[in-house]
Amino acid sequence: MSYLSMGEAHRRITEYLNRFSDAVTYQNGVSFKSLFALSSNSHFLLSLADALALFNDANRLINQNDNYSQFSDIIVPLFRSLQHYKQSNFVETYNAFEKTANAFVQEFRNWESAWALEALFVIVYEIRVLAEKADRQLASNGKSPEKLKGAGSLLMKVFGILAGKGAKRVGALYVTCQLFKIYFKLGTVHLCRSVIRSIETARIFDFEEFPKRDKVTYMYYTGRLEVFNENFPAADHKLSYALKHCNPQHEANIRMILKYLIPVKLSIGILPNHRLLEKYNLLEYGNIVQALKRGDPRLLRRALQDHEDWFLRSGVYLVLEKIELQVFQRLVKKIYIIQKQRDPSRAHQVKLEVIVKALKWLEIDMDVDEVECIMAMLIFKNLVKGYFAHKSKVAVLSKQDPFPKLNGKPVTSV
Amino acid sequence: MANEGTHTETLAPVESHLFENRLVDASQHQTSSYATTTSGPEAVSWTVQSSTANGVYSNPTYQYDQHPQPPGRSVQEGQSVSSVAGNTSNLGTANAPQDYNAYTSYANSSNPYGYGSSTGYSGYYNSYQQQQPNHAYSQPVGAYQNTGAPYQPISSFQSTGSYAGSATYSSTYYNPADYQTTGGYQNSNGYPNQAPVWNNGSYSSYSSHPYTSYAPDSNSSYSSGAAATSVQYQQQYTQWADYYSQTEVSCAPGTENLTVPSSSTLGCPVSAATSGYATPNNQPPQSYPQFWGQESSTPAAPSFQPAAVNSGDYDSYWKHGAQTSSQIIQTNPIQPNYQSHLDLNSSYDKFQDQQKTISSQGTNLYFPLPPPPPPPQQVNPAPLQCAPSLDTKQVSKFQIPTNPRIASNLAFEQSKTEKDSSTSSAAMKPAYIAVSLTKPTEKVSSNDAANSILKPGIFPKSLRGYVERALARCKDDKQMAACQAVMKEMITRATADCTLCTRDWDMEPLFPMPDADAVNKDNSLSSTHDFVLPKSKKSPRRSKSRWEPLAEEKPVDHPVPISNDHPVKYSSWVPNEKDRKLVVENKETKEDSWKNTKFSPLLQRISSKAPQRPFKKQRLADASIAHENSNASSDSDKEQSLGAYYSAVNDTPEELKRREIRSKRFDLGQAQRTENNHSRKKNARAGNLYNRRASALVLSKSFDDGVSKAVEDIDWDALTVKGTCQEIEKRYLRLTSAPDPATVRPEEILEKALLMVQNSQRNYLYKCDQLKSIRQDLTVQRIHNQLTVKVYETHARLALEVGDLPEYNQCQSQLKALYAEGIEGSYMEFAAYNLLCVIMHSNNYRELLSSMARLSVDSKKDEAVKHALAVRAAVTSGNYVAFFRLYKAAPNLNTCLMDLYVEKMRYKAVTCMCRSYRPTLPVSYVSQILGFSTAVPSIEANDEKESAALEECLEWLKAHGASIIADNNGDMMLDTKVSSTSLFVPEPEDAVAHGDANLDVNDFLAKAPL
Repeated sequence: MSYLSMGEAHRRITEYLNRFSDAVTYQNGVSFKSLFALSSNSHFLLSLADALALFNDANRLINQNDNYSQFSDIIVPLFRSLQHYKQSNFVETYNAFEKTANAFVQEFRNWESAWALEALFVIVYEIRVLAEKADRQLASNGKSPEKLKGAGSLLMKVFGILAGKGAKRVGALYVTCQLFKIYFKLGTVHLCRSVIRSIETARIFDFEEFPKRDKVTYMYYTGRLEVFNENFPAADHKLSYALKHCNPQHEANIRMILKYLIPVKLSIGILPNHRLLEKYNLLEYGNIVQALKRGDPRLLRRALQDHEDWFLRSGVYLVLEKIELQVFQRLVKKIYIIQKQRDPSRAHQVKLEVIVKALKWLEIDMDVDEVECIMAMLIFKNLVKGYFAHKSKVAVLSKQDPFPKLNGKPVTSV
Repeated sequence: MANEGTHTETLAPVESHLFENRLVDASQHQTSSYATTTSGPEAVSWTVQSSTANGVYSNPTYQYDQHPQPPGRSVQEGQSVSSVAGNTSNLGTANAPQDYNAYTSYANSSNPYGYGSSTGYSGYYNSYQQQQPNHAYSQPVGAYQNTGAPYQPISSFQSTGSYAGSATYSSTYYNPADYQTTGGYQNSNGYPNQAPVWNNGSYSSYSSHPYTSYAPDSNSSYSSGAAATSVQYQQQYTQWADYYSQTEVSCAPGTENLTVPSSSTLGCPVSAATSGYATPNNQPPQSYPQFWGQESSTPAAPSFQPAAVNSGDYDSYWKHGAQTSSQIIQTNPIQPNYQSHLDLNSSYDKFQDQQKTISSQGTNLYFPLPPPPPPPQQVNPAPLQCAPSLDTKQVSKFQIPTNPRIASNLAFEQSKTEKDSSTSSAAMKPAYIAVSLTKPTEKVSSNDAANSILKPGIFPKSLRGYVERALARCKDDKQMAACQAVMKEMITRATADCTLCTRDWDMEPLFPMPDADAVNKDNSLSSTHDFVLPKSKKSPRRSKSRWEPLAEEKPVDHPVPISNDHPVKYSSWVPNEKDRKLVVENKETKEDSWKNTKFSPLLQRISSKAPQRPFKKQRLADASIAHENSNASSDSDKEQSLGAYYSAVNDTPEELKRREIRSKRFDLGQAQRTENNHSRKKNARAGNLYNRRASALVLSKSFDDGVSKAVEDIDWDALTVKGTCQEIEKRYLRLTSAPDPATVRPEEILEKALLMVQNSQRNYLYKCDQLKSIRQDLTVQRIHNQLTVKVYETHARLALEVGDLPEYNQCQSQLKALYAEGIEGSYMEFAAYNLLCVIMHSNNYRELLSSMARLSVDSKKDEAVKHALAVRAAVTSGNYVAFFRLYKAAPNLNTCLMDLYVEKMRYKAVTCMCRSYRPTLPVSYVSQILGFSTAVPSIEANDEKESAALEECLEWLKAHGASIIADNNGDMMLDTKVSSTSLFVPEPEDAVAHGDANLDVNDFLAKAPL
């Protein structure tokens, strides 16, 4: 670090303060927000941090001028936060920044218009990011990470301010999305419910009026929640919306969406093109798709086993596991087709022992009872049309469309 | 208002002997009315107020809410102490006429007054109350008189000596009413005189310059009444003029007055009120300490006092400094308050001028009456109650936000008053609480701070700051008094030098602390907090009804239940607080902020609470001191152990000292307790432990504020209870206090207890009880080892066997934590249980996923875990065949958990089969698949069993609405097509109304193996 004179330090601090009060005076949201963006690592803020380290009496500067002193609740902790940030002491950074955020929110509440919304977004973002960093630091020190939780309740407060009527409402979705990120990270997804309710039940405000970026994020997270609930049509709708509106340049985001959308689509009978999996590096799904195409339960099981951890962590394991029934359907269909080629007149009668034999060939160890159960379930779930005759151990298939396609509908019992 | 009525009744008898009244009314009711009246009615309006003054409380309501317009507002407090009776009677009469006039005009509009009813003037009151709003006026007159009377008493309080001129002015202050009231004040002395004056001059003049006219009148009256006394009135009058012009503010002051009534004993003088008038009176310049003390003791003083208070200690200082004559000084402070609304500057000037002039004149004798007659002091509880409630509501809001300090002070005061009242009440009468005059000055100090704040003006700001700083150092009343004395001296000197305003008080070094006994610091501290919180339900209603005749709402008959209770007294204090706040508020807001009514209830509540607490604490502290010696050994012990912590906390010596005292309180309690139960030796040890724990608690608390890290450095091990109980069997009882080592079993005994439970043949209820007590002892002693794990595992298994899921869940969650600590146990077994539990009961996919993700590779190889995972797969895929195979082959207690899911799975399976199979399905097959019979039905030996299982399956199917037919061979077949539409889930036979069969004790006992 080059030598920094006292005068220069003083100049930098004053410049910051001037920018601050100018931004407030002229309601310049753009310049205002840059004053809070710690994690942007902007040169301006970093050099300010240096200046603060040198110039001990910044508080006096703040309190000297009425233009600043009225914001001293915001600025003083912000300066402290900045200094800690510079030293990578994220726990303290977070603590100080939280104070700033609280003071800012207080101030924001009093501003009639929403001009400072952008700055609020930056603060909300910083709160989350700094809390995550602080938690990482806490965890590495063997202490219990709790900052993110605190950030969650702080953001909830912010949400409360925005969620009403008026211009500020536009910002509510951004905060919601940050809350989603926190809750998903903390594993306290159930907390999302109240936020979602207030977003989706507000009739005075059309969802489409929110900024696109927030809409996409929101749809992504609510889509994921629907995956947890195994509500596939809703999940499909939300994730497809996210995919459709997502900026095509942001491949990482698209991949995240596809990661959940693909299993959802699979479970409603729509298979992805292999090139899609390649493009977005989602080859974990490759074998699953193959198994579905081929009707190969063994391949499915192997694929699930191979990527079990990944699937479990993503939360799609159970969804994929349920695809097994579709794989069995495919297998029976294959047998049916082969039978039809040999003897079209008796093709609709599939003997249980044939299926057992096929499974044996696939090295899947299932006895007659179990296969019978599978067949019963296929019929029950309407994947196969027909009935099972227990006495003769034969599945009698309907002559018309014995293997109905899902066509975007989920597997359900009739 | 109803209350008031009641009060009057009760009071009546009392009054006969003693005149006590607190009447404060803020008759101001309708500002609007005032405006209109101004020309002629003005007088009326005022009068009304005065009358209201008697009624006391009602006024506040009026004033505050409705009219922001301050004009009328003045509240008169008629807290008259009966003591002056003789005088009062005269005065009353004089006033009455005036009042009537005023009332008449107002009467219709301002009925709310009803208040009058309040105290002493039983006759008057009665009439007033009854009349309530409408009649109020006539009654008010009486009220005035009353007020006069109260004032006198008040004055007497203050006067303790200082004011030679007896009671005279006491009544005066009240605002609009003031005018009349002022008359009233004089009452004692010159009521008659004043009255006429007022009527004539004031009323007529009102339209034009009522004030001016008043001023003269008042002066004259005052002089006449109490020639000796102070000049304050004049000043007030001037102020009034200002007020009128401003109109707004005055009301508030009046309200303040209302509160006064409660203080009847002391407060009266203060009550004056509305406009600052009263206030000035209150402060007896000379006897500051005493004066304050009185006020504090008497709740009555409220609004006036506040005003007075403001001027109060500080004022007194000022006064002394500025003028030798104390009285004058008081007036000054008051003015500032009032003026605040108006023009502060101008007012100040005026004040100063007035002071000078006044000082010489000494027109007003507010507190002329020397010692009030001791007996009379009963405060009418009823009036107080009513009034306080109303007032408080209105006022409270203000106060709370504005002056935390004041609040605290008040609380403090209240507490004392409470005590007093309690004692007195016991002696005197149940219904009313008598406030003993004897009250010492101690409490006053608290007010001072507030006062300082309140007074904006007369003295240089910096000087006020100086005084505040100086007083802030004071830890108790004595110190405060000492400080005050010193400061008085200083200010006097400064005034003499003419340096009062030129000196830089900000830079002035604080004088050395005069000696004073530190006592009761805690009291003042503790009381502060409470004020902020409370909210009143009543308030909203109140606010609504303010303008309406209150009497209707509250029937007069209503006896005041509270009279005896402390709360009442507190409430009485509350008014004071309010008043003070009001004053402040007025300055600040310049509006009527009476809307605040909501808070009042809160205040009341708070006030009632606050006093008690400090009291208790004090006692404790005393006790601890007393016992200090006896506990010497344990104390020293404790100190040692604490030393480290203290040092870590970086505290000042004072802080340390305070903490020590605090922790000793605990010691005391502990020591006493132990003594009762145990041998000496045991006690010492236990005491130590107890102390350590207590101190640790204290420490941790203090750490919260500052150094949070230090908490982790506390050596909790040293503070843990070590059990001494040798009995193996112990019933479980949920702890409601700190554990007593004598009833806690040490680890080795617990081990035996566990064995005993495991080998016991008794039923689950007994075992559960025993295990819970074992768990409790373990927890209390912070034992986390294999024994702990064993206990929880044992309990979890027992619970599973019986199907006691809640208990199982408790154990499971504890086990999770214990395993996480690395303590060995049947980890796999319980991991499997956990998995099963998640699958079967929470039906929460996310949780299931995370449970699965947490499983290590090793654990997945475990038999039990594998089984659980397989069950999981069977359940999620709906594979009933696999499920029931796993059901038959479950290791450990997995079966027990699966049991809970079997019914659901069977039903799902049958639904599926009925849908898929055609045309029929043998029941024997269903029985086998659904786990009724063993998987291999061919073994002959099991024939009997087999048929039983078949029978059971048949029953089950029938119970679920399945259609069963017999085929050619006589075998039972399930008719799937028919059944597919007729299946249903039957109501469980053992259903219990509350939904959990386990909660049914009889059923539970019947099931549990005995």
